[in-house]
Amino acid sequence: MEFDRFFKFSQLLLKDEFVLSYSGYVSEDILLAVGDTLRERLEDHARDGAQIRNVFSIFVELMQNIIRYGVEGPQPGPEDGEKPSFGIVMVAENETNMDVIAGNYVTVDEANQLVDRVTQLQTKSPEELRKMYRERLRSSPDERSKGASLGLIEIARRSTLPISCEVMPAHNGLRFFMIKATV
Amino acid sequence: MNDLHLEATSRTPAVALDTGAGTLMMTGESYPEDVTGFFATLTGALSSFFDSGAESLNTEIRLTYFNSSSARALMELLELLDDAAAKGAKVNVSWYCDPDDDITREFAEDIAADVSNASVTILDLDVE
Repeated sequence: MEFDRFFKFSQLLLKDEFVLSYSGYVSEDILLAVGDTLRERLEDHARDGAQIRNVFSIFVELMQNIIRYGVEGPQPGPEDGEKPSFGIVMVAENETNMDVIAGNYVTVDEANQLVDRVTQLQTKSPEELRKMYRERLRSSPDERSKGASLGLIEIARRSTLPISCEVMPAHNGLRFFMIKATV
Repeated sequence: MNDLHLEATSRTPAVALDTGAGTLMMTGESYPEDVTGFFATLTGALSSFFDSGAESLNTEIRLTYFNSSSARALMELLELLDDAAAKGAKVNVSWYCDPDDDITREFAEDIAADVSNASVTILDLDVE
C-alpha cells in the first residue's frame, strides 16, 4: 500500500461522518466484534434507542447475508477451510439520518435475483412488508429459495426510507452488489 | 424430565426451564451463530417436559433484540407450546416487548394471532 493510495482513502472518508466501516472477510466472529463496536459508537451518535436498534438490526442481517451468500473477493481468502465471503459494511451519519451500506461479490445470477427482490420491496408499504414477513415466516424450506429472504424483509421494515441497491461489474465475471438502508 | 439452565452469552439469551414450578424464562438477546442448535436444546427439553405429562407452563419472553433467524425459531417454539396446549396442557405466554420497538411488537402480535390453544399476552418491557 503506497502512501498516495492511503491518502486518497483517508480523503474519501472525510466527506461524511463515519460511525464505522469494515472491509474484509466476514465471519460470525467478525460480526460479533464489529457489532459490539458499532453499538458502542451508536451510543454517542444515534438520536435515540430506536435508531440504535434499527441500525444494529440492519447491520446484523446484512452481515449474515454476506456470510451466507457472498463469494470470495479479489484476494485469496484465509486457508482455514472456511468459505470466505468478502464484504464491506459502512454506517455513515448524514445531517438527519444514518445510512447502513453493504457491498459484496456475488455471481451474475445472484446479483440479478437480489436486484429483483430489492426492487420488489421498494414499493411496499409498512403494512405490506409486515404481511410479507409473516407469510415468509410460515413458508416451507422449499419455498424459501424463492422471493425475498426474511432478513431482506427485516432490513426493509427497519429502514425509514425505501432500501436501494446497485450492481457494478467486478473481477472474474462476478458482480459487486451494493445495498443501502437508511434509519 | 430435566430442568434447563443456559447462561446468557453476548449472542444468546438466558434460558431457565424449571420443570417443578412449570416455568420458562427467556431473557436477553438472540442472534446465535448456530440458531438451529441453540433452539433445538430448548425445544428438546420442552418436548420431554410435556411428554412426561406436565400439566402447565408459564412462559416469560423478555428479548430486547433477536434477528430474523431467531424470529423463525421463536415462531416454531410458540407452535410447540400451542400443540402442547391443544393436547390439554395449560400454557400461558407473557411476551414482553420494548414499547419503542413497533416491529418486534407486531411480530409478537402476528405470532399470537396464529396461536389458538395457548394464551399469549403481549406486555411492555421495562427498559432503563
